[in-house]
Parts: sequence; C-alpha cells; structure tokens
Amino acid sequence: MFKPVSYLAGALLSATALLAAGPAASADDIVLGASVQLTGPLANTGRYYKDAYEFAVEKINEAGGVKVGAEKRKLALKIYDNQSDVSLSVRQYTQLVSQDKVSLLLGPFASNFALADSAVSEKYKVPMVQGGGASDQIFSRGFKYIFGTLAPASNYFGSTVSMLKELDPAPKTVALLYADDAFDVSVAKGTRPLLKAAGLTTVMDEKYTSNASDFSALLSQVKDKKAEVVLVAGHETEILNFVRQAKSLAVAPKLYSFTVGVPSDDFRKALGSDADYAFGMTAWLPTAELKDKWFGDAAAFAKAYKEKFGYDPDYHAASGIADVEALAQAVENAGTTEPQKVRDAIAKLKFDSLYGTIAFGESGQIDLPQIVIQVQGGKVAEVYGAKGFIEKPHYPMPAWDAR
Amino acid sequence: MDLLTQILINGVLLGGLYAIMALGLALVWGVLNIVNLAHGAFIMLGAYLAWHLYTYLGIDPFLGLPLTAIIMFGLGYVVQRGLLNLIVRAPMFNTLLITFGIEVVLTYLAQLAFSADYRTINPPYAGNSIALGPVVVPLARLMAFGIAIALTVGMWVFLLRTRLGRAIRATAQNLVAARLYGVEPRHLYAVTFGIGIALAGAAGGLYGTVSQINPYIGAALTAKCFAIAIIGGLENPLGVIVGGLVLGVIESLAVLYIGATFADVASFGVLVLVLIVRPSGLLGKTA
Repeated sequence: MFKPVSYLAGALLSATALLAAGPAASADDIVLGASVQLTGPLANTGRYYKDAYEFAVEKINEAGGVKVGAEKRKLALKIYDNQSDVSLSVRQYTQLVSQDKVSLLLGPFASNFALADSAVSEKYKVPMVQGGGASDQIFSRGFKYIFGTLAPASNYFGSTVSMLKELDPAPKTVALLYADDAFDVSVAKGTRPLLKAAGLTTVMDEKYTSNASDFSALLSQVKDKKAEVVLVAGHETEILNFVRQAKSLAVAPKLYSFTVGVPSDDFRKALGSDADYAFGMTAWLPTAELKDKWFGDAAAFAKAYKEKFGYDPDYHAASGIADVEALAQAVENAGTTEPQKVRDAIAKLKFDSLYGTIAFGESGQIDLPQIVIQVQGGKVAEVYGAKGFIEKPHYPMPAWDAR
Repeated sequence: MDLLTQILINGVLLGGLYAIMALGLALVWGVLNIVNLAHGAFIMLGAYLAWHLYTYLGIDPFLGLPLTAIIMFGLGYVVQRGLLNLIVRAPMFNTLLITFGIEVVLTYLAQLAFSADYRTINPPYAGNSIALGPVVVPLARLMAFGIAIALTVGMWVFLLRTRLGRAIRATAQNLVAARLYGVEPRHLYAVTFGIGIALAGAAGGLYGTVSQINPYIGAALTAKCFAIAIIGGLENPLGVIVGGLVLGVIESLAVLYIGATFADVASFGVLVLVLIVRPSGLLGKTA
C-alpha cells in the first residue's frame, strides 16, 4: 500500500536534487552563495537572478577572474532553490554561510525574502549584495552587511507622479492599489506624499491580498469613483489579471501604471495588444551609453543575454549582474576575500557598470532614477526621465472598444 | 446603486466560475470519499491543454472544451485505475497523502514542461462586454457562467436519470448492495474520477480565458474548491452552484464594504460558519 507513495517521494527527491545542482567549485575559487526562486510561484522572476549570476560569473572568469592581491582567482557559484518559500530561503542562507562556508553572498528575488535573509548575513557578518529587494524596510534597520542594487521602493512612482503634472489634459484624481507585502506597502507609503505634493486627489487607497486573482470588485469601484489615474503596486500575475479584467469590465482610466510587468517580455507576450497603453517604470534600459568592464556595454549585454537564454533581460537581470560585479570589484579593491574587509570595500564602491553607476548610500541602498516607460504598439517606449519627456506618451488611454 | 448592482453581477459571475471548478472535486469527494488535493493541479493541466489547443491548433477555447474534457477524462481514468484504486478503501489520511503527492508532482512537471512563464488564453472576444445601461457584463465570464449552469444541471440529470449515474449513486450509498446488483466498482470509480477530472479540465479552459495560467495556480484553487464543496454540500451538484454563488457574492461584497484584503477572510469565515451551523451533515462526509 505504501509503495506508490515511496515511489512518488523518490521521484520528488531526485527532481529537487536535479534542480539544486550547480557547477563544481575548485578549492581556491571564491564561492558566491545564493538562494533563488527556481521553482514555485516566483520562479518566473527568480530565473532572471540565476541566469544573471551565472552569466556574470562566466564573463568574469573568461576575463581571467578576480584579482586578489597578487593572484587571480576564479569565481564559483552555489545556488539553492528556495521553492519560493521564505523560511526555506533563510535556512539555505544559514547553510551557505555556516556549512558550505561560501565567501560572499548574493541575494534572492523579492523584498520579503531579502528582508528575512539579510538577518542571516548580518548575524554571520558576511556581506550580501542583493538585486531583488527594493523595499525601504530592508535598509531601515541599520544593518551593516546588506547592500541593494534596486532603486528604493518608496520612489518607484516618483518619476510617474512628476510626469502626471505635465500631462495635458492634467489628471486630477488618483486610485492607489497595492498588494500587502513588504515591497508594495513601501511603494504605497512612498507614493502618498508625492501625490499630495503634486496636488492630486486620491479617491481610492486600497490594499489587497497578494496573489488575488479577482479584481472585478476593485475595478468597478475605480470606475464608480471616476479615478483618472490608477497606480498599482503588485505582482505580475495580479497585474495580468487586472488588465484583462479591466478590459472585460470596460474600465479605462486615462492612465494606469504598474510597478512590475511592463518591462518584461513575458508580460507583453501574455497580454498581446491588450498590453498597449500600460505605463510602468524601469531604472535600467539596455543602451550603449552604459559601459561595462566585462560586457562592453548594456546593449551588447542584452543581445548576448537574449542569445544565451532565449528571452530579453529586464532590470532584474541587469541588477543581478551588478550584484556579482559589485562583489568582484569590492574583492579587487580590498585585496582580500575576508568578509569584513570586503564589506567595507563595498560601502566605498563607485564604478560604472552596464546597470549604471554602482555606489551605495549610507543605508546600503543604491539610488537610481526611474524612467517612465509605456507599452506602445507591443514595444516598450521610454516616455519620461529626469530631463522631462523623451517620447510622446499615448495619453489619455482610449476606451477599450475604441482601440 | 449602480456600483452595488455591478458588484453583485461580478460576484454572481465569479461564483459561476467557482462552481464549475468545484463541481469535479465535490463529485469525487461524494462518491469515492477522496478529497482530491490535486484537483487544482488538474485544473491547471486543463488550462494548459486548452492554451495549447488554442495557440498551436487555433481551436477556440470554448469550442475546444469537449476535447479538453475528453483528454482529461482519459487521464483521470488512468490515474484512478493505476494509482488511486490502491488506496480507495484506505484511511482518509492515505488518500490525502497520495493526492497531495500527485499535486506536487504535477506542479513541478508542469514547470519543467511549460516553464514558469505566465500564459493567457486570449481570443479576440475574451475581453468583450455587454453594456446594460451603466452596468457592464463581461462576455467571457457570462459564457463561463452559462457553461457552469449547463454542466451542473447536466450532472444532476445524469446522476438521477441515467443507468451509469444511478450506479454511481448506488455505489456511493452502499457498496455491497451495488455489487450484488452487478455494479463493477473498480471501473465505476475510475469513470467517476475521470468525470471529476474532465470537469476540472473544462474549468481550467474557462479559467485560462478570464485569468492567467502558471504551474502554481493549483493549490489556491483547490482550497477554494474545497470551501465551495463544503458550503454547498456533496449530496447534490446543485449545491455546488449555490456554494459557488454564495462565495463569489460574499467575496465581492467584502471587497466593497470591508476592504480587498478581507475577501479571503470573508470566504473562509463563511466556511467556518457553515461548519458550525450545519455540522452533522458535513462531518458525516469528512469523517
């Protein structure tokens, strides 16, 4: 009677083992450890980090590795699959530093993971450079060993709100919707004062449950309260449902903008032409102006990445590359892999990369401006940056039956 | 007033979708006494099947539902005959363990086969709506609702009127007596499970046209189906429709009046309430 169960368990264990396998490291490699979402609901974005980490390590090793004092040493990776489970991720980071004795740490995806995992890096005094968590909460606890390469969550909508003031006709009412997790709550908290300062009236300010699949009730309220602008801070699955249900309920505000999804290839593929008019933001675009020591420039990187992995990189991938480069550069500057010294070198870093200039503030977080982007005819257009409009936004959004 | 009407319509249509998702779970639970924790994973597989039929063969998701259902029936029949029949008379715990195992295996196989990319079944009319004055009725959800009602009534007639349906009910009520009358339970169990999975598959196709598909949607859907089956009761397929509608309307009203984070609190609160108010009938099935 128990046979089939044990078969299943066996199959399961071997499947997990396969997923957790990584390249073998030799004794004097500098091992970077990470726990990433390779399976589970966050695997879709988690893969950017795994692919970026591997790609960066490969490129740095091709160039001879990292110069530590007089010798050149190669990098190696140890990645575990945390199955999109925060508590598993914390256990895996503990294992990485206490048993696997990795030299330095790279981060997981998502703020709630980075929030929990940074407690491990702090406790063991091993620096972690993470490119997956943007929530201000991660950096507000005075931790010394956590660094972040994503722009602060509180300012995700900053450039969007500046743009709203310059649109014609200028919108007056805003609905702010956000998921109930660390990142999205930080976004909402940061956006409220911006909206107030911009003189916009907030007609809806609603928190919803992460992974919600039905937005019809919220959308009906957006329509009823005549919100002209809808800002949504959430996860990609929710944004997909939101847009689809907006169409089926014929809810068309003048503008809607989303914290995630818009820069990603997958999002536009899933929605097809319904993705048009959606605004979003990104702190990174693959331009040739962003020079990089290992990849040449950001445009060359994006091309090589697409060839290697079969999908376009977005800012998550570029941020992941920046994490590996930051650790490599810091080790070179420190001339040692001793964690505390590397930590001090990271804090003092300032170098140009394909992701932008890497330099961390007092709290450990990078500060990059967000460029407003919009899907126009199936492609991402840069609409608004630090110097004002770049391309003309498609605004206001027409009714769904008039597209 | 318009808003309330709109919210109620949203809730009713959502309830129709819930009902069709829960129909198969309730049938398998009622007849085989198996709480199929892999039910949501089968909905996910059905959604991927419908997605492939639409994307690669151009078969409309609604017209393709019978095909999806037939393929899923085959899968369900085989899984029951080859795997679940081994534990059909075993304690409840074993059935939970094995169906949980199936859910995990199906989910991870789906990620290996289909990647974690998000998919949508997006025929040109999927986002269309019918405007009734100020109130808007989404077309795809209305169609899904119609299919849910039709399938439920169909199931009801099938169980009450046909020979096979009577045999299924007889087996559920008294196995020994049914066997004395010539019912072959192994085949019958497999057919019942197959029908349950076929319904899950059809629900998956509909779910893909109104929502998004990824390998991990299953677990949350199972939980919802479970709540609906308990609220509606297992005795009668019409109960599932009632359960789905109650849940859909309550969730929508909770979003309107209490706040969007309370939708799940409200629906599982109703579940607890039903268990308190009507425990005897419900505990009889689960014990």
